[in-house]
Amino acid sequence: MSDLNTAMTERYRSSFLKEVEANVEEGEWVKMCMQCGVCAGSCPLGNAWEHTPQKLFMMIRAGKREAVLSSDAMWMCTSCYNCIARCPRGLPITHIMHGLAHYAKRLGLSPKNQPTQQFAQIFWDNLMKKGRVNELKLGLSMYFKDGFGQGIKNAMANQKLGQNMMKAKRMSAMELFGGHSIKDTSGLQKMIKKAQEIEDAKIQGNS
Amino acid sequence: MSDEKKFAGYICTGCGIGDRLDPSQLESIATREGKMQSCKQHEMLCNSEGVQMIRDDIANDAVTHVMIAACSRRAKVEAFNFTDVALTRANLREGVIWVRPDADEHQETTQEMADDYVRMACAELRSMSKPASSGEQQLNKTIMVVGGGITGMTAAIEAAAAGYPAHIIEKSGALGGQAADYIKSIPTRSPYSEPQDTGVAAMIASIEANDLITVHLNSTVAKTAGAPGRFSVDIATESGAVVTETFGAIIQATGFNLYDPSGLMQFGYSSSPDIITNGELEKLVKASNGGPIKRPSDGKEVKAVAFVQNVGQSSTEKGQLSYHSGIGDLIAIKQAMYFKAQNGDCDTTILFNNLRTPGAAGEDFYRAGQEKMVTFSKGEVSEVVAGDSLEVKFKDLILDEETSMQADLVVLDVGMMPNSGPDPYAVPMVIDEDAEKTEEAEVKAPTVTVDSILNLDYRQGTDLPHLKNGFTDSHFICFPYETRRTGIYAAGPLRRPMDMRQAQDDAAGAAMKAIQAAENAGKGMAAHPRAGDLSFPKFRMDGCTQCKRCTVECPFGAINEDEKGYPMFNESRCRRCGTCMGACPVRVISFENYSVETVNQQIKNVEVPEEFDEKPRILVLACENDAYPALDQAAMNGVEINPWARVIPVRCLGSVSLSWITDSLNSGYDGIVLMGCAKGDDYQCHFVRGSAMAHERMGKVGDTLSSLNLEPERVVVYEVAITDVERAPKLINDMAETVEKIGLSPFKF
Amino acid sequence: MTEVIATNQTILVVGGGISGLTAALEAAETGKQVVLVEKRPYVGGRVTQLYKYFPKLCYPTCGLEINQRRAKMNPNLTILTMAEVTDIQGEAGNYTASVKLSPRYVNDNCTGCGDCGKAVTAEFDDEYNYGMGKRKGAYLPHRMAHPQQYVIDPAIIGTDDAEKAKAACKVNAVDLDMQEETVSFKAGAVVWATGWQPYDANKIQPYGYDRFSNVITNVEFERMADPNGPTGGKILRADGSPAKNIAFIQCAGSRDKNHLLHCSRICCMATLKQTHYVQEALGDEGKSTIYYIDIRAIDRFEEFYQTVRENPNVSFIKSKVASIVENRANGNPVLKGVDTEGYHRYENEHDLVVLAVGMQPSVDKASFPVDIVINEEGFIEPASENGGIFAAGCSSDALDVNRAVQQATGAALRAIQVVNRVAGTEG
Repeated sequence: MSDLNTAMTERYRSSFLKEVEANVEEGEWVKMCMQCGVCAGSCPLGNAWEHTPQKLFMMIRAGKREAVLSSDAMWMCTSCYNCIARCPRGLPITHIMHGLAHYAKRLGLSPKNQPTQQFAQIFWDNLMKKGRVNELKLGLSMYFKDGFGQGIKNAMANQKLGQNMMKAKRMSAMELFGGHSIKDTSGLQKMIKKAQEIEDAKIQGNS
Repeated sequence: MSDEKKFAGYICTGCGIGDRLDPSQLESIATREGKMQSCKQHEMLCNSEGVQMIRDDIANDAVTHVMIAACSRRAKVEAFNFTDVALTRANLREGVIWVRPDADEHQETTQEMADDYVRMACAELRSMSKPASSGEQQLNKTIMVVGGGITGMTAAIEAAAAGYPAHIIEKSGALGGQAADYIKSIPTRSPYSEPQDTGVAAMIASIEANDLITVHLNSTVAKTAGAPGRFSVDIATESGAVVTETFGAIIQATGFNLYDPSGLMQFGYSSSPDIITNGELEKLVKASNGGPIKRPSDGKEVKAVAFVQNVGQSSTEKGQLSYHSGIGDLIAIKQAMYFKAQNGDCDTTILFNNLRTPGAAGEDFYRAGQEKMVTFSKGEVSEVVAGDSLEVKFKDLILDEETSMQADLVVLDVGMMPNSGPDPYAVPMVIDEDAEKTEEAEVKAPTVTVDSILNLDYRQGTDLPHLKNGFTDSHFICFPYETRRTGIYAAGPLRRPMDMRQAQDDAAGAAMKAIQAAENAGKGMAAHPRAGDLSFPKFRMDGCTQCKRCTVECPFGAINEDEKGYPMFNESRCRRCGTCMGACPVRVISFENYSVETVNQQIKNVEVPEEFDEKPRILVLACENDAYPALDQAAMNGVEINPWARVIPVRCLGSVSLSWITDSLNSGYDGIVLMGCAKGDDYQCHFVRGSAMAHERMGKVGDTLSSLNLEPERVVVYEVAITDVERAPKLINDMAETVEKIGLSPFKF
Repeated sequence: MTEVIATNQTILVVGGGISGLTAALEAAETGKQVVLVEKRPYVGGRVTQLYKYFPKLCYPTCGLEINQRRAKMNPNLTILTMAEVTDIQGEAGNYTASVKLSPRYVNDNCTGCGDCGKAVTAEFDDEYNYGMGKRKGAYLPHRMAHPQQYVIDPAIIGTDDAEKAKAACKVNAVDLDMQEETVSFKAGAVVWATGWQPYDANKIQPYGYDRFSNVITNVEFERMADPNGPTGGKILRADGSPAKNIAFIQCAGSRDKNHLLHCSRICCMATLKQTHYVQEALGDEGKSTIYYIDIRAIDRFEEFYQTVRENPNVSFIKSKVASIVENRANGNPVLKGVDTEGYHRYENEHDLVVLAVGMQPSVDKASFPVDIVINEEGFIEPASENGGIFAAGCSSDALDVNRAVQQATGAALRAIQVVNRVAGTEG
């Protein structure tokens, strides 16, 4: 991945904005921001992040590549869509945030211990195995991501929730043993792989 | 027309006038004291029957002078618009019954007020004659346009399209002006997304094909004499030949110059050929001829360009422009697009503080710039450092950090300065020698053209007076075309900074005014704001002492002087404000329907009760455009006005003759209140200087008062606005209190 | 029946605001026959509702007085009030216009004496004051209204009030049988000057204009600041207590894809002006905070901006306010957002919020009674396809008074060009 990062750095040396435009989902909208800040003010989690969308967009224009791609900000977006609803320029801000997160991850620049990012990876890996999310394993993977001791603590803290879910048949202990899958898991995996190839080719082409 | 005068009075008893006042007493005053040959009452004079009655008398009984005692002169104007007689109005409704309480104990003083207003109106009427034009006027439909840029060309084309011939006087060898150097212009039509053709070539072609338009290239105006309707202009060509042409009206469209940023060291304009102004960029791009845009220093293709906005403008610093050219950001977007069109990969960055792209067109163009990947950064540039690669240091205001960027070319957004010629009223600069040593060397003042453009053969200077910063208008909000020289209209960036679309609209507006001025001069009618007025001041030369006050004080430069110092009046330059009349110490200037005498007669015919009656008299001279309407509105609200007051509307406080003050004091008035408009930088006086002149003159009234042994507080001058509905009556009532405090005037006989 | 005398050398001016009035007067003073059609019962339009003009801080009624006097004196000008153009057919040099005249129920006999107003009792929201304050069912819209004639509200027709008004009138001016009528007449050219309306603040959901009583609009604030207005010039909150800490929100509905796409040009200057009102009414006790994206002080207005910037009682925050909530305890609006210059989050409580709402063309694109080229923002384009119809003022762009007048003067000339051509061919 860092090869890709180097290639991208080389390719877009003069303009990070162009890099974003070409490679980030909905990235072509970033140039249209007029820095009014309504997205920043509308974000319910705004005070929990280092950078708000408006500020990120300015950083992109200012060529602050490292700071943007390693920011935790886009990982904190909960997709509430307040910003999109209010943006006077109609920027699909939520999507841009996810696009930026995705791109940063591809380049290997996303913040290493950012929990949302970790969760996303765990979720993805979990999903890819059976083509279906294994709730139990997903939960456990999250609990134990920071080591065994911490995992036990987390599990204990959420014990009641787990029990209730089982009672309501929303989760089954049997899932621990593989769990059920979709009909054609390998077919899905092939599809995903192909999609990834197409996407990689596109980015490589851009690089 | 026979000189036989016939005076007729009409008293309306409607709107409560008949109930509150004794109309038969008013009628008898009108006939016996007021010497009206007839006087009729009508229960509603303004209705069709009442108006017809007056019309019939004019037609059948040869009535030449009409006195209407009814409502304010501002009410029912259309009904009482008898243009073929001299007309005066006694204001019994707003002036009397609406400002006095309806109670028995006030009946006597209220009736006295009404009696006096009828006396005043009759007396005024007797010293009036029906205004008629001088008969000297000429209709000349040809318009002179000075300046052959976008504005001037448009003005000529628009005038010609209305059937009025135009002459364009252009200093250079070609039409087109500054725009001829431009690649493209800011878009003027929806969707406002691409720079568009300037239209210069098409305009030149249409002018060449137009029989009504004559072009004088390499020519300047050597002399402009005369007045609207009969301007006589010497047009000098480079070769030294002079032709004389006559014109009905003039449009000055001499455009602008760009601010010279050499003195602003931080922008490095003089330190590198690659730091240029937005004006110079047009030429640079033009020279590239559609190929790669190359920087001046080494001919290397420009791959990164920075636009530094708002250079030397919006500034309180000495030597910089305090205003803003308004269109610099739109120009920067347009110019960034030049680079993008040539090379999509060229980095274009606009460093601005407040991005000024107003209106529908502006905001559309801003978005269009963003679409094309023009980078907009809210930043304050502190320095441009010359070098192989230019370094632009700036504070990024959003990211709140000092930073810098590299560019091959830096374009400075410098402001537009009107090319307006010298201000006739410029105060000679006082040079502080110490300051000169320290500052002059560092900061050059903005250069202003000092050569005359119009070479007006006017007593008050060669060019259009400036309002501020070299812009040549006066009441620029309500009446943007009104310069202080009648029949000469400024258009384009001379009037305020503007883009080409606005300049073209402006040219059409100026052409409208010029055509109107030519037409009305042909009829002997006044121009704005007393449009259509046929009266004009007449000068009784045998009484003139050549003091030159009228020629100096006329706000519109209407009066020249002959070699002996006698005033030479130019009717069609005059706006009919009467400032000359107010200025004249020997009272030789008067209008047919407004003169020292018409007001003096009103003052004299007020019945001044003897001292022991304890009924003071307060004279109020109120500007007819602001103070008088404020009093009318106060009356509508039922605000009380002291019954001792007698209000006389004046055309402008500038027309107030000092003799009115001394005469009224001598005849026993106890107090005098003068109400004019705001003066000073943000003046509201419709005749620009009238109110200021009046304030100045009244400053000397103290001498008169002390020579008469009277208290100074008996005469007061106020600035009163049309909205001073509560304050205007209060100022009058305050004077009544003052009089009560200091006692009645000893000059009652 | 009302009769309008007009020919195809007549210029029809649609709209009697400052633009239409200017165009009509300039043409009439050049000797042209002009018919001015105005929807309201008086001319002057929205400038009559402004307290002061920027940047001179002078009074709109001062220039209006001159224009009204020009109108009264000019025999070439016919003014139809309470009139709306419903249809225009034809081509340059030969139009036929249909105009709907709504009944005023008061005829030209009216002297403006006010007896009818005193006689009636029913009260209505006063539209001149944007619904702040009341007016009677027989009323003079404002003190300087021209024509100076009362109007009877159609709502009192058929009630006792109407009869009382009629009985009170001593000059036979009240005519309760007046009917709506439509007149048709010729015109050679048309100046279209139907002006603007304030953007509907109710549509800006996050600002709660519809929910919070201490959130008002800039046009309402104009009336409030006017000493001759509904509060006597006092700047008040909904509960009648004085407002001292006032927020101005710029681009309320402008520069916004969800509302008006365009920049309304005037709102920055209007707000800067309104901070002067705060200073005038409250002195150093009055604090103004301006929340803005860009302050668009253009050309010579720049100096006015500089003087406001120097006022220590005015602060500027570069931010489009995200939302307003109401402090239930005291009814104060609380503004939430981010100061984008350096990223500072705020939750600022104010006594009163003034929304600088933008300018929207008065006539909806779909309901133009004539075929005309209109751009995305709803403004009339200067297109040759428009024939002998010329836009003036805010029907062509968001403009300040100065530019509206400038443009209207040019529009008058373009109309004159058409009628002069007609005169040339007809002799």
